[in-house]
Amino acid sequence: MESNDQDPTTEQVGAGAGTPSSSPEPSADPPADPGAGRSDTTGGAADGPRRLYRSRRERMIGGVCGGLADYFGIDPVIVRIIAVALVFAGGAGILAYLAAWLLVPEESADGASEPGAAGRTATIAGAVLLVLAVCTLVPFWGGPFDGWAWSGPFMFLVFLGLAGLGVWWLASGEHPSAAGTRDVLRRAGLGLAILAVCGLLAIGGAWATAAGGGVLVAAVVIVAGLWLVAGAFIGGARWLILPALALALPAGVVSAANVDIDGGVGDRHHHPVTAADVQSAYRLGIGHLMLDLRDAKLPPGDRRIHVEVGAGAVSLAVARDVCVTSAAHVGAGQVNVFDRGSGGLDVDWRDDRRALPGTTRLIVDGDIGVGVLDVSYDDPEQFDRGDRFNAPREAGNDACIGGARG
Amino acid sequence: MARRRPDLPSLVAGAAVVLLGVVLLLDRLDVLDVRFAALGPLACAALGAILLASGLARRD
Repeated sequence: MESNDQDPTTEQVGAGAGTPSSSPEPSADPPADPGAGRSDTTGGAADGPRRLYRSRRERMIGGVCGGLADYFGIDPVIVRIIAVALVFAGGAGILAYLAAWLLVPEESADGASEPGAAGRTATIAGAVLLVLAVCTLVPFWGGPFDGWAWSGPFMFLVFLGLAGLGVWWLASGEHPSAAGTRDVLRRAGLGLAILAVCGLLAIGGAWATAAGGGVLVAAVVIVAGLWLVAGAFIGGARWLILPALALALPAGVVSAANVDIDGGVGDRHHHPVTAADVQSAYRLGIGHLMLDLRDAKLPPGDRRIHVEVGAGAVSLAVARDVCVTSAAHVGAGQVNVFDRGSGGLDVDWRDDRRALPGTTRLIVDGDIGVGVLDVSYDDPEQFDRGDRFNAPREAGNDACIGGARG
Repeated sequence: MARRRPDLPSLVAGAAVVLLGVVLLLDRLDVLDVRFAALGPLACAALGAILLASGLARRD
């Protein structure tokens, strides 16, 4: 963010060549024929910042893809292919295209650039993010965008785009640059240093939140926010934006996943061999909780256990004559109960089963912050071996009504 | 005396960070139960507002 604060008049990036302002290299002169090359239409005058415009020459609908292709100096077909692919990623491409159509000005008739559009990229990125935020909130009350969800390839693309945007911003300011290597390296070094500090803040904040210090972290975040608000009037606080976000967002993720590391860190292996040895609750902060109940000889009737892991995995093995009914919340990850399962963010799993007469019903109540809850007949030690989740899984719950024995 | 204009990105970022902090505090105090379905759009909106403010400020 800080690198984005400079005076736009100092961000002189040559068209096509893209020379940052602090670089002494002069830019190339614009071609005589505006339509002869790409750089002239995006960068316009060589002595001004490169601009993003909707292309007049490379236009299929609104000229957005053509303008982007001109801006990045690539074939418009590539941009169009990406745009079409994004249409199938939850409709993000359509919204992004419409936002760009509304916000990006059209290229002037002579192909020359217009002045006074510094910060347009940030404006567009901000507007697109706000549109995405609104569209992902819509499913809460049901609407035409009901299919939007915080999972799958759509979110991958969103986060990938955000990461790329951030690195680009930190490394090169506003515009990608092909020249001025020293300046780019300086910016990249500064960006990496900021990222390192922010990374430490993020890890520290997340760890403190998971360890029970969430209230303190929240208080620090609020104070940082108030400092920023005060700094807006007295000046000199912009540098705090990135550290404040680095502290707040990971702490928020830990909080949303409900990660709690009070149960300790590491792998735990429980293998009770009598019903009396089976505890009512098993907890682990971070790591792999292996619970092998295959030899527990549980008596007929209901037996309830609670398993809780902040970040990691729970692998629970049961005997074939036990019916398992399960309910779990997973902040981020997946649940696999024999051949059934669910995964993603905010997973609320429920699989109610009734046991055959005279058999044991194990009622599993799981709470996983980030990770996996796995129930099977297999040795929990084998959990980490091989690609278990993508392998065909054995249908289980034979001892339930509707199972193999029922 | 000319009155100093507030710095828009700092103002918006400050408000967004305060909002995130308050939500985090309420979740930790068990007043709210924040999940990814709410945190995701909230974080996205906060970042979007900051970027938008930054872009608009630089266009002035």
